[in-house]
Amino acid sequence: MVFRSEEMCLAQLFLQSGSEYDCISELGELGLVEFRDLNPSVSSFQRRFVSEIKRCEEMERILGYLLREIQKTRIAVPDEDESPLAPPPRQVLEIMEQLQRLEMELSEVARNKEKLQRNLLELTEYTHMLKITRTFIHSRSRHEALGPQYEEFPTMETDSVTGCTGMQRLGAKLGFVSGLIQRVKVEAFERMLWRVCKGYTILSYAEVDENLTDLDTGEISKSVVFLISFWGDQIGLKVQKICDCYHCHLYPHPENDEERADVLDSLRTRIQDLNNVLHRTEEYLRQVLQKASESAYSWVVQVKKMKAIYHILNLCSFDVTNKCLIAEVWCPVSDLANLRGALEEGARKGDATVPSFVNRIPSTDTPPTLLRTNKFTSGFQSIVEAYGVGDYREVSPAPYTIITFPFLFAVMFGDLGHGIVMSLFALWMVLTEKQQKKKRSSNEIWETFFSGRYIILMMGIFSIYTGLIYNDCFSKSLNIFGSAWSVKAMFTNQQWTNKTLQTNSLLTLDPNVSGVFTGPYPFGIDPIWNLAVNRLSFLNSYKMKMSVVIGVIHMSFGVVLSVFNHLHFRQKFNVYLLFLPELLFLLCLFGYLVFMILYKWLAFGARDSSQAPSILIHFINMFVMQGKDLAPLFPGQTGLQIFLIVIAMLSVPVMLLGKPLYLYWLYRGGKGLRRRRGYERVRRVSEDDTSAAPSYEDEDEEEGLDETPGREPLPKEFDFGDVLLYQSIHTIEFCLGCISNTASYLRLWALSLAHAQLSEVLWGMVMRLGLRITTRVGVVFLVPVFGLFAALTVSILLVMEGLSAFLHALRLHWVEFQNKFYHGTGVKFLPFDFSLLPSVFEQDGLL
Amino acid sequence: MAELSFNEDHGYLEGLVRGMKAGILTDTDYHNLAQCDTLDDMKLHLQSTDYGRMLSTSEEDLTVSLVDSKLRENLVTEFSCLRSNALPPLSTFLDYITYSYMIDNVVMLITGALKQRDVAEVLPRCHPLGAFDQMAAVGIARTPTELYSAILVDTPLAQFFQEAVSEDNLDEMEAEILRNKLFKAYLESFHSFCKSLGGATRDTMCPVLEFEADRRAFIITVNSFGTDLSGVDRSVLYPSCGKLYPEGLQLLTRAEDHEQVKAVAECYPGYKIIFDDPEPESGCKTLEDRFFEQEVKLNTLAFLQQFHFGVFYSYIKLKEQESRNIVWIAECVTQRQKSKIHNYIPIFK
Repeated sequence: MVFRSEEMCLAQLFLQSGSEYDCISELGELGLVEFRDLNPSVSSFQRRFVSEIKRCEEMERILGYLLREIQKTRIAVPDEDESPLAPPPRQVLEIMEQLQRLEMELSEVARNKEKLQRNLLELTEYTHMLKITRTFIHSRSRHEALGPQYEEFPTMETDSVTGCTGMQRLGAKLGFVSGLIQRVKVEAFERMLWRVCKGYTILSYAEVDENLTDLDTGEISKSVVFLISFWGDQIGLKVQKICDCYHCHLYPHPENDEERADVLDSLRTRIQDLNNVLHRTEEYLRQVLQKASESAYSWVVQVKKMKAIYHILNLCSFDVTNKCLIAEVWCPVSDLANLRGALEEGARKGDATVPSFVNRIPSTDTPPTLLRTNKFTSGFQSIVEAYGVGDYREVSPAPYTIITFPFLFAVMFGDLGHGIVMSLFALWMVLTEKQQKKKRSSNEIWETFFSGRYIILMMGIFSIYTGLIYNDCFSKSLNIFGSAWSVKAMFTNQQWTNKTLQTNSLLTLDPNVSGVFTGPYPFGIDPIWNLAVNRLSFLNSYKMKMSVVIGVIHMSFGVVLSVFNHLHFRQKFNVYLLFLPELLFLLCLFGYLVFMILYKWLAFGARDSSQAPSILIHFINMFVMQGKDLAPLFPGQTGLQIFLIVIAMLSVPVMLLGKPLYLYWLYRGGKGLRRRRGYERVRRVSEDDTSAAPSYEDEDEEEGLDETPGREPLPKEFDFGDVLLYQSIHTIEFCLGCISNTASYLRLWALSLAHAQLSEVLWGMVMRLGLRITTRVGVVFLVPVFGLFAALTVSILLVMEGLSAFLHALRLHWVEFQNKFYHGTGVKFLPFDFSLLPSVFEQDGLL
Repeated sequence: MAELSFNEDHGYLEGLVRGMKAGILTDTDYHNLAQCDTLDDMKLHLQSTDYGRMLSTSEEDLTVSLVDSKLRENLVTEFSCLRSNALPPLSTFLDYITYSYMIDNVVMLITGALKQRDVAEVLPRCHPLGAFDQMAAVGIARTPTELYSAILVDTPLAQFFQEAVSEDNLDEMEAEILRNKLFKAYLESFHSFCKSLGGATRDTMCPVLEFEADRRAFIITVNSFGTDLSGVDRSVLYPSCGKLYPEGLQLLTRAEDHEQVKAVAECYPGYKIIFDDPEPESGCKTLEDRFFEQEVKLNTLAFLQQFHFGVFYSYIKLKEQESRNIVWIAECVTQRQKSKIHNYIPIFK
């Protein structure tokens, strides 16, 4: 485990032209370095490798088309376990050609298919139209009076009907327009027809039973067959236009029944033929896609890698002779050897005559933070990083969090049974993690739980431990070692008789009677407390004091960790002017409180428990300097208390004024004693620097100098007011924080109490109902009751309570612990790594 | 009080539209676009904006008209997303926005029909925001009355037809007059609708619509010079909901040339700057451009307040202006007119 982030260095890579592509590809596979943009002022389309990136994008477009087609035909794209390397530049054209050929072939087939489908649709529509219009004609010829048509087409206007019959009687030539229209448009169509043609038309329509697909939109909709009979050419033209406007599909209307039958026959055969051809086309399309899908995955990965490499190459600058590319990278010092190896490998692959090489350059910029993690620690690291990425080389709270986080959680979640359930769940996730990872579930909640599986496992195990201490298992106590309390002794000592049992509903065991209390329970709380009525007041006092003890220890530990920061950043004065007063303040006030708690636990036993003083009163009296009338806890208490208060009060002005005054003194005169203040000041300088592009001439001159930030930062303008203000804010925050943070740790007590009470209520309200009933009924009744109990236990006590305890543990770490030493203002190291690159197609759900 | 329950119905959409507003191109974007040498460069740059992969999915070669249609498609997609999620009265408000496009479409179809163009040829050129079912049948009508009673009576445009109904045969001039009559009725109706909504919507929308009304009045006057449209004929077309109403409109009725129009604008500080003589360095900006510029300014103001519908109108208008800007830059890029490329109207400086 690392206590600090890795040591980083800025390095220049000289990539010989010809092998630069392979070098970057090699680096991308290993994921060693983070590249810096050397031409930030150049806009994206003016960079060197734009045409290559454009080519990659073209390939991505084709691949996207391909994948969409593959997905449409429901062919699975096989994943490969090992991802293929980025293709060498000469192979790119080959892939490109392949892709283009595939695209052409596919689009041609697809076009053909669409044409066929359109054709087929037209023919089917025509058939439907013929079949349905026949019924119109027949019904009309059968009933000359057109009476029944009212029922069939209730929307038809009387006017139009009589007008038409009038015309028919006159023997005028009737025109017919027939076709199909979408169901939703029929009403508007009919209305407009009526308005425009003033009623000189008859519209009859009926719905098609079959659902037809609209090929343009892909929607499946109901269609309606209509037949318009009209009189006169003028109206015919208008009807035609209206039909166009409503996107009707018009088909010629046959003159008589024989023609109709003929057309229907020929249509049937043509539809059959078309179906055959369509089937074959689909088969062929499927074959082509099947073949494409086999190599689709590797193409996607290859194109992704290629594009990434060119993006990186765009970040590099050319040297004067144009012979090689210069890249600037952040690299962990320990990986420099690997970096050299990768460059050699790349040069070998690229057949370069001159090797590429690495050159470390000094820099005043703050390097990015890299903390290496494994699958166990990554969860805890991400808990810390959710608060803030640590400064470069700052003490990392993550290693301590591994223990303290589950522990504080367990203090709030102390229940043996719940702990076992939780750790079994986590254990299952841990044991099956390989299969689970392969599944790539898209459920976000599940993903969250799964990525925190080791945290959950630790939390579960710690909950088992605290559950044993609290002696809580689903709100019941386990009597493992045998209770140290004896009821029998009360009788043998003649304290109780049978009469006392009958007359009193509550009885008190007196530990002072010999034999009743034989000493503490070996581990945790004595199970007899589970029966006691005053159990809650006993546990409350215990848990409250325990929370304060844990809290003060946790905070003091945080303060102590700040020493390592001060020492590492060579700010020794901070140890004396910041750390010591802080620690003294904390320990003199709250350390003493802890001492009193422990002292009271040790000094007072069962016999003199009635004289045990209240710590709270003593603690308050310590501040107000009163309480002479109170019996002291131990001899010399008053003197010690005054001494402690004086020390605590003295450390406040030291904290407040010490650092500003010292810095001021340094600035004014103490030039000889001047030391670097470490990265804090360096960063301020670097922020000014990075806005302008780094100039090489400058750094080249300094190459021979020291590796670590060699250049003494320019004497900064020292603003005493600023420092004082900052320091006073810090002091106030710390002093008030000590009080409020200590109080904040009482949440340990509160949540643990809530958890215990909730599980007790659940047992009492649900499980006890089932247990009270007589055996025979109870056997049947217990099954659903237990089901309810189990469901509520998991949903409320494990999930909800667990989440709330998790949240509070998180808060205790972020606020109470980390603000004592952790800045968290760093920048995360983001190596150029192919495996971390997102794929466009994965986002679109195509892979 | 409307603010209390505003978010209940319209909060999501307002948030959405404000988020989309953040994607409107900035000055640096325009600066970068203006530096492009080819349309491909522009495409590359637009990829880094909210337009994303809009242009990269097409197989055809990039042309300005393709860019234009893609931009329009983009706008329509966004608008239809807003419209389909809207609840009344916001849905009515959004419908009102589409009516202006409908009017333009109707007039375009009529002129198309007069020139004996095929409907299928004219239809794709209609703005998709103003599309309606009966669109293709517009060409059948010979008089405005026929147009109204046969075709448009079912469409939402019917309400604007009260004054426009006449028995004159439709010719090109008549179509233009019809457009202006419809617009007059539309603007007045929209104005009174916004007024009835009250609150911040009224405060933001009324100035914008008043400006729109006055702009139409000015443009009608300027365009009528040299035609046989008399002052009285013109006055029927002026929307009466603007700031010019009533005195300014009377003065405009009497105006005979550009100078007199300018004299009218002198009386209104808001319009004075538009008609002021162009400064030498600002290049040759047309009157239209200056109106657009002013419109953009007014529309950006809408985003300063919350709990109102003005943001929807302004967003659509600003987005339209942005499309015009991009198309302008694209035209300049393809025609190598680098000197004119900076004549776009920046939004949110």
